[in-house]
Amino acid sequence: MGSDFYQLSILPFAGIIIKICRAYTNSQEDFEDYYQEVCLQIWRSKDNFNKESEWSTWIYRISLNVCLTYLKRRKKGDKEIVSNSLPEEAIDDSKAFISDEINQLYSAIKHLSETDRAVILLYLEEKSYEQIADIIGSNTNNIGVRIKRIKNRLNKYINQKD
Amino acid sequence: MTKSIEAMWKEGFMNEAHLSAPKINDLYNRKSQNIVDKLQNMFVINIKAIIVGSLIMFLTMSLVGAPFLGLYICCLLVPLIIIAKKELKKSVNLSKGQSSYDYLMSFNNWLKSSIGVYSGYYKIFYPMFFLGMATQAIVSRAGGKLIALLVEVFPTGMIILGQPYYILLALALGTLIFARYAEAIYQWDLNMVYGRQFKKLEELITDMEELRK
Repeated sequence: MGSDFYQLSILPFAGIIIKICRAYTNSQEDFEDYYQEVCLQIWRSKDNFNKESEWSTWIYRISLNVCLTYLKRRKKGDKEIVSNSLPEEAIDDSKAFISDEINQLYSAIKHLSETDRAVILLYLEEKSYEQIADIIGSNTNNIGVRIKRIKNRLNKYINQKD
Repeated sequence: MTKSIEAMWKEGFMNEAHLSAPKINDLYNRKSQNIVDKLQNMFVINIKAIIVGSLIMFLTMSLVGAPFLGLYICCLLVPLIIIAKKELKKSVNLSKGQSSYDYLMSFNNWLKSSIGVYSGYYKIFYPMFFLGMATQAIVSRAGGKLIALLVEVFPTGMIILGQPYYILLALALGTLIFARYAEAIYQWDLNMVYGRQFKKLEELITDMEELRK
């Protein structure tokens, strides 16, 4: 990858990638793998960017699509396994985020289905229902209902942990 | 809990230090861990392996005195090369910049169509491959000796194409078994490697379809 492309087109949006990858990974090592994969795919897909949407929206899409179809290596051997297949007890809230509250929130998010994780991440990033529907490819009418349901689940989980 | 999740998120990321990007090492040469890329790579490797394999097969068979079998196997492998090349071309349209639902759907459609095309050919390939190998075994010197022994134990007057009928019957049965289970063998192999990913994909699509209703 040309370092210019990374510096100019990816790094300013690294926050988006970090926030999404964190929701789909359970360790620092996996997080770094996912982050690099997303960067690789953004670079590979750059010629397909048609400028109909914003570059940041493109990054959201690629980040989510990569996280949804990522293969993770086993620690021993070379075969891949499906991402997010670690048992619950393996979920270790990485130390990358200093804030306990954020770690607590991510811990709750990781208990959601993969689609719900995508929806809530976009909502927390202050995307409109239309933008969320556009990025995920869903119906705008259902997004509001789904967000309400997800928020209830998150609050319930966080309150239980308190 | 006193804060809303929105406030937790906003305040948690106010400090940019919480968002430091990991180091990128030699990204350009990094191997992708995405299933689409993995399958594309598999097709590329398939093409190369088939070309090399068929040449090796032809040379080896020629050296052991069975050049026609080598040529026969080469001919069986050529359609696999063509299929792999065609499937690889189709996968190019899978842009990761689509909406998640569209991306997963186009990936799923491509996957199903590719598996269908490969399964279809393996239904021909496996039985034909078995038939070629078995025929070669029958006409070989060792095979001839074995058949002569069999005829001594199970004598028969029913000779077809110079062979006792039960040999041809076994050949036909073997071919039918391979034809019947070719798809299952291919599916089993595929599921061993990607089964969990396929299941995850189905679940994701089902979930997203609910959101679209």
